[in-house]
Amino acid sequence: MSVLIILLVPLVAAALAGIPARRPWASGVTVVACLIVLALAARAAWIVAAGGSVTAALGPAWANWVAVDGLSALILVLVALIATTAGIFSVGYLAHESLARAKLRLYHANYNLFVFSMLAIPLIAEPTLVWIVVELTTLASALLVSFENTREALEAAWKYVVLSLMGAGFALFGFLVLFAAMHAAGGGTYTWTGLVAAAPRMPPLLVQTAFLLILIGLGTKVGLVPMHTWLPDAHSQAPSPVCALLSGIETTSILYVILRLFPVMQAVPGAHAETWALVLGLISVGTAAFLLLQVHDYKRLFAFSTVEHMGVILTAVGLGASAHYGAMQQIVSHAVTKSFCFFAAGATLLAVGTRDIAAVRGLIRRAPAAGAALVLGGLGITGAPPLAVFLSEFAILKAGISQGHYVGAGLLALFIVIAFFGVMLHVNRMVFGAPENGAAEPEPSGPHGANGSRLPISCALALILAAVPVLVLGVYIPPPLRALLAQAAAALAR
Amino acid sequence: MSDATRQLIENLNALAAGLFLLTAFGIVAMRQARGCLMLFIAQSLLLAVSAALLGLRFDSGHLYGVALVNLISKPIIVPWLLRRVAPAELYTRREVDQVLNIPTALLIALALAIGAYFLGIPLAKAVGPSSVGPNVPIGIAGLLLGAFTLTVRREALPLLIGLLAMENGAFLAGISIAHDLSMLVELAIATDGLIIVFIVGVLVRAVAKQVGTTAVGELASLREAAARNTERAA
Amino acid sequence: MGERIFYNVLQVITVMAFAPLVSGVLARLKEMVQSKRGPSIFQPYRDLWKLFHKDEIVSEDSSWIFRFTPYVVFVAPIFVTLLIPVLTSYPLFFAFMGDMLGGGFVLALAGFFATLAAVDTANPYGPIGASRTRMVGFLAEPVFMIVFFTVSFVAGSTIPYIVQQKWVTPIANFFAPSHVLLVLAFLMLILAEGGRIPVDNPTGHFELAMIDESKSLEYSGRGFALMKWGGQMKFFVLLCIFLNVLVTPWGLAAGQTLGDVLLAMPLVLFKIFCFILVLVFIESSLAKLRLFRIAEFLGAAFVTSVAAMIAQVFLG
Repeated sequence: MSVLIILLVPLVAAALAGIPARRPWASGVTVVACLIVLALAARAAWIVAAGGSVTAALGPAWANWVAVDGLSALILVLVALIATTAGIFSVGYLAHESLARAKLRLYHANYNLFVFSMLAIPLIAEPTLVWIVVELTTLASALLVSFENTREALEAAWKYVVLSLMGAGFALFGFLVLFAAMHAAGGGTYTWTGLVAAAPRMPPLLVQTAFLLILIGLGTKVGLVPMHTWLPDAHSQAPSPVCALLSGIETTSILYVILRLFPVMQAVPGAHAETWALVLGLISVGTAAFLLLQVHDYKRLFAFSTVEHMGVILTAVGLGASAHYGAMQQIVSHAVTKSFCFFAAGATLLAVGTRDIAAVRGLIRRAPAAGAALVLGGLGITGAPPLAVFLSEFAILKAGISQGHYVGAGLLALFIVIAFFGVMLHVNRMVFGAPENGAAEPEPSGPHGANGSRLPISCALALILAAVPVLVLGVYIPPPLRALLAQAAAALAR
Repeated sequence: MSDATRQLIENLNALAAGLFLLTAFGIVAMRQARGCLMLFIAQSLLLAVSAALLGLRFDSGHLYGVALVNLISKPIIVPWLLRRVAPAELYTRREVDQVLNIPTALLIALALAIGAYFLGIPLAKAVGPSSVGPNVPIGIAGLLLGAFTLTVRREALPLLIGLLAMENGAFLAGISIAHDLSMLVELAIATDGLIIVFIVGVLVRAVAKQVGTTAVGELASLREAAARNTERAA
Repeated sequence: MGERIFYNVLQVITVMAFAPLVSGVLARLKEMVQSKRGPSIFQPYRDLWKLFHKDEIVSEDSSWIFRFTPYVVFVAPIFVTLLIPVLTSYPLFFAFMGDMLGGGFVLALAGFFATLAAVDTANPYGPIGASRTRMVGFLAEPVFMIVFFTVSFVAGSTIPYIVQQKWVTPIANFFAPSHVLLVLAFLMLILAEGGRIPVDNPTGHFELAMIDESKSLEYSGRGFALMKWGGQMKFFVLLCIFLNVLVTPWGLAAGQTLGDVLLAMPLVLFKIFCFILVLVFIESSLAKLRLFRIAEFLGAAFVTSVAAMIAQVFLG
C-alpha cells in the first residue's frame, strides 16, 4: 500500500501548493511532501534490499501495473532523495520578494507534479504507461524550465519540449512494436517481467526495431549524443533546484526505461544491445568531454557533464555483466554529485548574479561558501578521489579491463580525464582566479541580485545535506545500499 | 463475414490509410497555418475511420473505442483547446514560411515515405496475419513525415501539429499491430495529447509575449559561441 | 466491323459537337456563381461560327508553322478520340492504334506546335506564354508518367479499355487507395493542362498574366476558330479520359446496338456536367496561384501520384 501512497503524496502536495496562501505555505508543502516520500521510498528500498516485496500486499490485480524490484527501488529512492534536497534548496532560492506569489505557487505545483511523474517511472510496470509518465515528466518540467520567462529560458523550454516529444513519438511506436512482439510470442502480461519471460519467443526483428526506436526516442530525453542538443540549454536555463532534478535524476530515470530492455534483448539472438550501448555511450562521453572545454556558462558546464555521465553509464552497461554493478553505482554517485553541483551553481548565481564563467573570478573571496561548494562539486563530478564518482568510475574501468574491453575502457578513461581538465579549468578560474585586468567586478544583477552574497539558510542546509552522500559514498557504501546495487545490477541481465 | 465484404472493408481501410499519407505530405508542405490544422483534423478523422474499419474487420470492441477516443479528442478538443489557450499567437500569421522550399521538402518527404516502406513491410510480415493493409508502412511514413515537419518548420502551430502528426502515425501503425492494448492506456495516451497541446500552447503564448514572434524556430541565442555575447548583453 | 467504324466516327462527332457546349456551360455556371447572368451556353458555337466567317490575317514574317499549327491543334484531339472510350466500354475500330501513352503523345504534339507557333510570330506575349506553358508542361509531365505507370501497374495494361474495367471489378477496387489518389492527382493535372484556376485563368484578358491564352493571341479568323475549337476538344478529351478511364466506366455503352451507344451519349454528357459542377466549385473557391507557386501545385500532384503508387506497392 505504501507504494501507492508514494505516488499519491506528490499529487496531493501539487493540489495543496496551488492554494493561495502566505508565501511559506507552498514551499512548506513541497518540503514536507518530499520528506514523506523519501521516508516511504527509503523504507521500500530497505525492504527490497532485504529480499522482501513491497507490492505483495496489493494483491494480484495490481501486479500487472505496479512492480518494484532492485532497479526500480534504487531509482525510486534516488528520485525521492534529490527531490527532497532540491525542494529544500528551492525554499531559499526562490525566497526573494520580487517573485509574484502566483508564480511561486505555480512553481511548487509543477514541482510536485514533476516529482510525481518521476516517481511513477520506476514504480509502473506496464511499458506503455511508463511511456506516458515519461511524457508527463517532459510536460510537467516544461514550465519549470521556462520559469524565469526570459528569452533564453523560453527558447530552452521550447527546444526541450519539441525534441523530447519528438523522441517520445518514436518511443511510442517502439512500445507498440514491443507489444506486437509480445503478441506474436503468444501473449502474456505486458509488463517488464512479462516481456523478459516472453522474450525468447518474440520475433527478433520486432524486438530489435522496438529497442532501437526506444533507444533513439528516449535517448533524446536522456541527452545521448547526437540527440543532446537541447540538454545544455534546458539544464542551464531552468532555476538551479530544477536543474538539479533534471540533470541529477530525470535523465537517469529515463535511462532506467532503456535499461529495462537489456534483459529482453539478451534473449534475442544477434541483438547486439550491448554494442549499441557501448558505441552510443562512448560517443556521448567523447563529444561531451570536448564540448566541456569551450563552454562560457558554468551551468552549461555541468549540463554537458550530465551528457558525459549518461554516456559513462551507458558505456558501463555495454561493457558487460561485471560492469553492471559499477553502472548502478555510477547512477547513484552521479545523481547525488550532480544535484550538489547544481546547488553549488545556484549558490554561485545567487552570489554573483551572472552565469558567465568569464565574469566570475575569485569567488572564494567574495562568497566563500559558494566557492568551496563549487570546488567540491567540480572535483566530485569529474571523479577526483576519494569522492563518490571516483569509486564508481574506477569500478567501471576495472570491470571493463578485466573483461578484455581494452579499447572501450581505454577510450572511456581518456575521455574522463579530458572532462576532468575541462571542468576543473573553468572551476579553478572562477573560484581562485584573479580578476582580469581592467575588467571591473560586475555588479550583481538579474532576479537574484537582491540576495547579494548571503546564502539563504535553506540553501546552505540543502548544500550540506547534498554534500554528505558525495563525501560518504566515496569511502563507504552501507551494506543495504550495496545489496540494492547488486540486485539492481542483476536486473540488467536475464 | 463474406469474402467480398472483407475485401471491401480492407480496401476502405487502405483508402483511409492512403489519404492519411496524403495529409501527412500536406502537413509538411502546407503554406497556411490554418490549413495545417485542417489537414491535421482530416488526418485524425482518417485515423479514427481506419480504427473503426479495423474494428469491424476483426470484430474488436477495443478498436471501436480507439476510434471513438480519437474522434473526440483530436478533431474536436485539440482545435478548441488551441483556440482557448493561445488564439492570437497561433492564428496571427496566415501564411508561414519554412526552412526548405516546398518542392524540395516534398521530394525529401517522398524519399522518407519510400524509406518507410522498406522498414514497414518486414515489420508487418513479422507481426503476422493480424496486420492487414498498409497501416504499418504508412504509419511509419506518418511518423517520419511528422518528424520531418518538425525539422523544416519554424512556426509554432505547424511544429505542434508535426508533433501530433507523429503520434497519429504511431497510432495508425499501432492499431494494426497492437489490437488489444488496454483501454486505460489508450485513454491515457489521448489525454497526454491534450496535455501536450495545452502546455505547448501556454509556452507559445509566453514566447509570443516575451519575444514577440511565434516563429519559434528562429530562436537561436543559446549556443556555445554566442553564449558570452548574450550574457553580456543581458 | 462497319458498325465499329461508325461508332468510332460517332465518338468523334460527339466530341466535336459537344466540346463547345462544355465550355459554354462552364462559363455560364461560373458567372452564375458570381451572381451574374452570364452568356448563353451556346455562345461558344456562335463565336466559332463568327470566326469561321471572318478574314484571317497572317503576319508576313511568320513561317509555315504558324499556318499549319491550327490544323494540328484541331486534329490531335480527334485522333485521341479514336483511341479512348468516349461512348463505349469496348474497343472500337481504331482503338488498336495506341494506348494511353500514345494519346498523351498526340496531345503533346499539338502542344509542341502551338508553342512553336507562338514563338514564330515574334509577338512579345507569345513567347512569354509559350515558355510558361512549357514550364507547366514539363512539371506536369512526370505526374502524367507516374499516373500512367501506376495505372498500368495496377491494371497490368496501358490500354484504356482494360484499365477502366479494373476499377469496378470487384466493386471494392473502386475504393482502393491507389485509385482514389490517382483520380486526385489527375484532377490536379486537368486543372493544370486545361489552363484552369488555380494554375491559369481562362477568362483573363491581361496579357502579362496569361499562360495558355497568349499562344493564340496572333490568330484570327479561321485559324483562331480552329485553335479555339481544338482547345475545347482537348479539354473534352481530357475529361473523357479522366471520367471514363480513371474514375469509372459507368454510363458507357456495354451493348453493341446503336440504341445503346446513343443512350450512352446523354449519360456521358451527364457525367461530364456533374464533374463541371465540381470544377466550378474549385474555380470559384480558389484564387489563381502566383507563377512560381505553380511548381508547388504540380509538386503536390506529383506527390499524390507517387503516394498512389506507394499505397499500391504497400498493399502488394
